[in-house]
Formats: sequence, structure tokens, C-alpha cells
Amino acid sequence: MSIRLQLLIVALTTLVLPWAGCQYARELETTLRSSQEKSLLASAGTIANALSAQPQRVFRDANDGHAFAPAGGDLYVYPLSTQPLLDGYRDAWNIAANPTPLRTTSGYHARAQAASTERYLYLYLEVDDKHFVAQPRDPHPDTDRFDRVNVTVLGPDSTPILYFFGTDAPGLIAAQSIAKGEDGVAQVVTEARIQAFWLQTAAGYHLEARIPLSIVGQRLWIEALDGNGNGRAGVDAQALPDGGRLYFATTGLDTLLETFIRDGTRATVIDANALKLGTAGNLIASNKDYPEETGATWWYRYLMGVDTTDMPVLPSLPDSLGGDSVQASLAGRPHAQWALASSNRELLLTAAAPILVEGKTRGAVVLQQAADQLLALRDHALTRLFNLTIIATASAVIVMLAFATWISVRIGRLRSAADAAVGSDGKIQLRMPESGSGDEIGALARGFERLLGRLNEHTQYLRTLGGKLSHELRTPLTIVRSSLDNLESEGLRDGQQRYITRAREGTQRLQSILSALGAAARVEESIKQSERVSFDLKEVTESAVAAYRDGFSGSRIELNLPEGPCFVRGAPDLLVQLLDKLIENAVDFCPDTGAISVRLSREANSYALQVGNDGPLIPEALVGRLFESLFEQRQGRDDKPHFGLGLYIVRLVAEFHGGTATAANQADGSGVMFTVALPLI
Amino acid sequence: MKKQIAVVEDEPALRENYAAALARHGYLVKTYGNRKTAMQAFQVRLPDLAIIDISLEDEAEGGFDLCRELRALSAELPIIFLTARDSELDAVSGLRLGADDFLTKDVSLPHLAARVAALFRRIDALRRPDNAAEIVRRGALSIDAEKMQTTWNGAAVTLSLTEFWIVHALARNPGHVKNRQQLMDAANVVLDDNTITSHIKRMRRKFQQVDAAFDAIQTVYGMGYRWVE
Repeated sequence: MSIRLQLLIVALTTLVLPWAGCQYARELETTLRSSQEKSLLASAGTIANALSAQPQRVFRDANDGHAFAPAGGDLYVYPLSTQPLLDGYRDAWNIAANPTPLRTTSGYHARAQAASTERYLYLYLEVDDKHFVAQPRDPHPDTDRFDRVNVTVLGPDSTPILYFFGTDAPGLIAAQSIAKGEDGVAQVVTEARIQAFWLQTAAGYHLEARIPLSIVGQRLWIEALDGNGNGRAGVDAQALPDGGRLYFATTGLDTLLETFIRDGTRATVIDANALKLGTAGNLIASNKDYPEETGATWWYRYLMGVDTTDMPVLPSLPDSLGGDSVQASLAGRPHAQWALASSNRELLLTAAAPILVEGKTRGAVVLQQAADQLLALRDHALTRLFNLTIIATASAVIVMLAFATWISVRIGRLRSAADAAVGSDGKIQLRMPESGSGDEIGALARGFERLLGRLNEHTQYLRTLGGKLSHELRTPLTIVRSSLDNLESEGLRDGQQRYITRAREGTQRLQSILSALGAAARVEESIKQSERVSFDLKEVTESAVAAYRDGFSGSRIELNLPEGPCFVRGAPDLLVQLLDKLIENAVDFCPDTGAISVRLSREANSYALQVGNDGPLIPEALVGRLFESLFEQRQGRDDKPHFGLGLYIVRLVAEFHGGTATAANQADGSGVMFTVALPLI
Repeated sequence: MKKQIAVVEDEPALRENYAAALARHGYLVKTYGNRKTAMQAFQVRLPDLAIIDISLEDEAEGGFDLCRELRALSAELPIIFLTARDSELDAVSGLRLGADDFLTKDVSLPHLAARVAALFRRIDALRRPDNAAEIVRRGALSIDAEKMQTTWNGAAVTLSLTEFWIVHALARNPGHVKNRQQLMDAANVVLDDNTITSHIKRMRRKFQQVDAAFDAIQTVYGMGYRWVE
């Protein structure tokens, strides 16, 4: 693995920073949420306590103790802020909820809704009745059949009073009731205090009625009767004396609540049936100083946001509240809960606290806050933190990568230099790159330089060792030889001569070994002193090959020359020596049946002088080393010692001429080819 | 009267071997181990021939210095360098200082004796009146084998003994190619190929000092040299 990759991996550990940031953010979020829950719960508790001190301002009607049963004709009375005009439409009521269907057994359908201002109770009815049956003039309500709506109210003295609405002409009408006259005869009287508007529609009729609250007590029964038959919908006071309860929202409670709550919080007071008594505040803060949601915030929230998939969804009802918190608080336990609004899936924090009146839970205060708003400020700060750590990490990775690249390039340079330090020709490059640097790589480079310096000294020592040895051994050898000469001259006894001869042969061999050892140095020196002239390489080659053909009559030498003269600059004597060595080498290794080829050719920038033979191939490992001084691993055909000086001389001469000497096996494996390239003039 | 030869050589065994061999050939041999003792003796009496090693005890080039001092005492005294050093540079330096010959220690004692005899013969011949017995003439060249003297167009060419024998061997059979070995044999020396080459070069230069157009020694590449008329 490269250093760059390693450092990159190390650099990736800085990713722990954003990870730690995430963890921190999560913890912070949990803490924030829990503290938000506590704070909202505390607020709810405070408001609940405040309200329980003044229950008369919260709980106005006595029905709260009974379970809310729409099927029993119970109605929730929505609060109205303005007095609507009676026109048969409820648009002006501004109530989102639809009217509640009335109980029916006969397939006759009607829906009702109730609302109130401080002075009036408003009723609204939709009756599906395609056949309008008008009220006869001077009707008798017990016997006459016409489309009518019976409204029975329980008066302040708990006496039920039946009013009915019917008309012969739709429009503004008044309620009627049946009263026993002083004569004891029941007669229809108009109740002018109760106004209504009868609106005929394609599906039936709408009735919008206004009843003064002074008439209405806590109960009210509504029944719609079909003039064409027995169809009826709703409840009858006699049939269901315990039904028809009205559950009023508490007037003025909204204003009271306003004083308790903060911006961005919605407070709702509910009664024991979870019906809304009053509501104040808005989930959306009016002073919206939260930062704009940016793309970064978005993906931060995507990464970090609360997982809402398992969150409960709060039921959204216009007249009541639901959810765990509401249930818990009505059971007497304060409770906070995160849940989604059913309308827009917004995450809401709901905190509910029970309102205890005389030790009994009569209702609850429910506070709600939008989580997104709560968390927006925190998100902003954390997003910045998150972004900064991401930038820091990216920068760290880039810087480390650059640094690693730099180190790796430097080490690479050093490595290439170390690889190339000892050339194929044995020359040692003493200078290393980076050795000027003050750091460890510089120290390494300097270490290499010292090592190479020592290696060079050693190589030099080895290179000159042969010459020195030959020089030092020459004097003792001469002593031996001159002593032998003298001994011979003194006259010998019979039989002594042969030992002298053997000793002489021995010294002769020593002599030739010493000459070979010292030859390299002598050759180098004589090459240094050679003069350079221009000469025709072709002519020299031709005459030399002619001489070799005479000299080595046992070998077949083929000559191949180019057209025209081939002038090079150098020493012809040396070049002939070069050829001598190549030919001697070829003769040594070429089998008797083989041929030696000498070829001179003109290349683009040089002349190529090639000597090939059909001898055994050179092992690949030795190809580069053949031209070294005293290198010899090949066994020639004779038993002569090969000190490998020949090819070394070839190299020296080639280099003296500014050329190169190379050896290679023939591509077809038929033999070996030595090539000397000499530059053109 | 016996010729007196001074051998200046720092290696005692070698010195004594040379002395013994030369004494056997009838010379009076004095031996010296270093430059100082040799010079003291020379200032009292000059030998007829001095054989000097180049490196003497702790003086690496003491032989050269001795040669210079000896030449200052006598311009004619024959001097032979006999040394283990066989480099081209040493040979050239020695000959340039006025030595008559430069031999490496590879030379055998009989060869050394022959050299010495030849040198004395040349000196003696120079002192005697001319006799044209042993004179080889090839065009402008004339070689007196007796006096070991060479002239070109009548002008003397000063050659060392080795060079003289090489020219002699080449000129005796003009047109014949002599290889390096043959030339070495003729000169009674053991030299390597490069030394022969540089000898040839030096000889050409010496002839060219007399006649700039000299071109009689021809290189036959791959074989050797020949004399052309």
C-alpha cells in the first residue's frame, strides 16, 4: 500500500469529527427536546393551576360531568366571535367542522350544528327532503303534517318547551309554539324572540335559527319531521329525556388564555370530555426571526432529523382534542408527547396538565408547539458547526493527501536514484536527490550518499587491486626468476635441470597471470593517452578481417560492409584492438562448424560494428556484466585462463570513441551478437 | 680493463642476483641500495654503465632524480632503467631524462647481459673510426648495426636500444609485415601490445623531427607493422 493511500486512510479518521459532531447534536437534541417537554409541561401545569383557582371562568355548564354522546343528541356549541346574519348558510360561522348527522331510523337524514355568541345560541340544520310540504295556515301541530323542525328547550325552570319551525314560504321566519290559551284550547303562538331563516335547496332545506341564551338552558332536543310521511331525524325530549345536552365553549376563556401563553404556542382548555372550552395562540410565531431554511439545513435535517415514521398522529377534530397526552391528563396525569399533526404532518410537542377542581379532574390545559420551529435555531447553529467540521475534514484530507503525495514523490525520487545509483557499467552515482533537505528523508538521502561513497571507495579499491597486486608481486617474482637464471649459469648437476625448467614454467605462468591482472590499468592508461584522428572504419575493419582470416585459418569469418567510407574519429590502433578482442572471443566460443560474422552498418546516428558467432548463448543474468573488468564466467573451448579483460577493453575503447558496447543473444537463439555503436562524425 | 657497472636497486636479493649475473659476464659490479650512497660513490668515480631502479627505498621516483643528477655529471654515461614499473608514462619519462634504455624486470638475466653488451658495443663503436661492414641502407635510411646508430637522409636519429632493434627488424625486410611478437623478440624485450604501439609512435615522431614527410613505418591493422620504401 502506498504511503499516499495509507495517509489517506489516516486522514479519513478525521471523519470522526463530524461523527462526534452528529453524536453531540443528537444528544443536544434529546436534551433540548426533553427540556422543551419539561418546560412546556411546566407551563401547562402553571396554567392549569391558575385556571383551577377560578373554575367559574372555565367551566360554565353543568354538563361536563356527563359523557358527551352525539348519538344521544348531545351537541357541542362552537364559540362565535361575531353575530352571523341569518341567511340559511353557515359560512359566516367560520367553523371548519361539518354539521353532525342526527340520529335517524327511517332513512330521513338531517345534520345539525350549534354555536353561540354571548347572547344567542345559533342552530343550523340541513335536512335532506326533496318534497317541500308547506305549513298550512292556522295549523294544528299535533295533527297537521308539514315539513317542520321541532326544537325542545329545557327552560331555566327545567320545564321543557317545544318550539317548532315550519313555513309556507321559505325565508325569515319565527319559531312557533303551542300554548294552552286561557280557554284551555291549544293554539299556535309565534315566538318572536326566536328567529330563523328557512332556505329551500335542491336537496332539501337549511334552517338557521337564533335562540336567545336566556331561553335556552343546558339541554336542547332537535327533531326534523317529514311532511310527507313518517320520516324523522333527531331526538325527542320525551323519548330521550336524558339526551340533548349542550356543551358550551366557555365565553371569555380565549381572552383569559391569551394572557398565559407565549408566541408560537397554542393553548387549549378542554373539559372532561376532551371538548374544547377555549383556544388561544398560534403554532406559527408572529415574530418570525428564525433563519431561512437553506439547502444545508435541509440535508442536515435529513441526516439528523427526528425519525417521524413511528410517531403517533394526533386526531384533528374541530370540537375536541385527542391523543395520549389528552387521555393521560384527563386521567389526572400531566403528560407530554411528540406527535404529528394529522393535517400537515407537522411535528408537534403536546403537553397536557389536568385542571383539578376540588380534587377532581374537570378538564385539562393542552399546550402545543411546533417542533420544527423549536428546533430551527438549534438547527442553524448545529448546521454551521456541522458544515465547519465537514470543511475542516475535507481540508485535512486534502492537505494530508498533498503532503503524502509530496513525501511519496520525494521518496520515489530517492528510490529511483538509489535504483540507478549503480549503473550497468559499474559506475556509481554519488549524488542523491533530497540530500539537502533537513528532514528524515534528507538524512536518508545523506545516508545513501555515505553508503555509496563507501561502496565507491571499495569498488575503486577492488578495481585497482589487480594492478597493485601485480606490481607488488612482480619484484619477488623477479627475484625468483633471476635466481633461477643465476642458478642455471652456475652450472647444474645432472637431473637438476628439469626442476629448474619446472620452476621456470611456474614463474612463467605466474608472470602471465600478473600481466593480465595489471593489464586493465595499463590499457586504461594507454587509452587515455591515445590521440584522436579521423579514419575510415570500413578500411580498418576490412584489413583487420583479412588479417584474422590468415591468423585464424580454422574459423570461417564472414564480412559484411556498407557502401562508401565510414569515417569516425578516434584511434585506429585501439579500434583494431577492439576488433581483436571481439574476434578472439568469437573464435573461443564458436564451434568448429560455425561461422563468425563481422558486420559494419550505418545507422541513423552511429555506425554499428557487429561481431556474431554461433556459439552457446549467454545466460540472461550475465548479459549486463560481460563488459566488466576481470569478469569471466564463460568456459571457452581451450583451457586458457580467461580473465575477462578482453570485453572490458572492448568497452573502454568503445567509450573512448563516445560509443557503447552491448552483447545480446540472437533472437532466433542461433548464437551471440556483440554490437559496438560508434558515433558518426 | 673490466667495465664497471653500477646497479642501484633497493631490493637486496634482486640487486645481488643482477650483480652476480653481470659479474659472471666479466663486469665489475658495484651495488647501491639508495640514491644517497649511489650519488656519493658516483661523485668519487663514475661507472661505465648505470642500471637504475625507479623507486628507491622511500623515494618513489628516486631513480629519475638519480638519472638527472648523473646526467649533470656526465652527458655520455649510458643509463638503463630497470624497473617493476611498466607504465607508458614511466618509460617515456625515463627516456626523456636521457636514459639509453628502459627495461622491465620481466627481462631475463641473459637478455639483460645481452643488452648491456650491446650498449657497450655501441659506445665502443662510436669511439672507433667508421667501418661500413654492418650498415643496412634502405632509401634515406641507414642503420649501423655495429654502432647502433640510425640516420635519415644523413641526419642522426636518436633511438633507444629497444627502438633501434624495432627499426632494424622492420627495415631489414622492407614490405614484410612484422607482428608485435616478432618485434618484441627482435628487441629482446617483453612488452605488451600497447607498449609496442607507443614505441612505434615515438619512433615515427623522432623520424618526423628530422623529416616532416616521414611515412616509412606503416600500420597493418590486425597484423603489425611494415617498412615501406
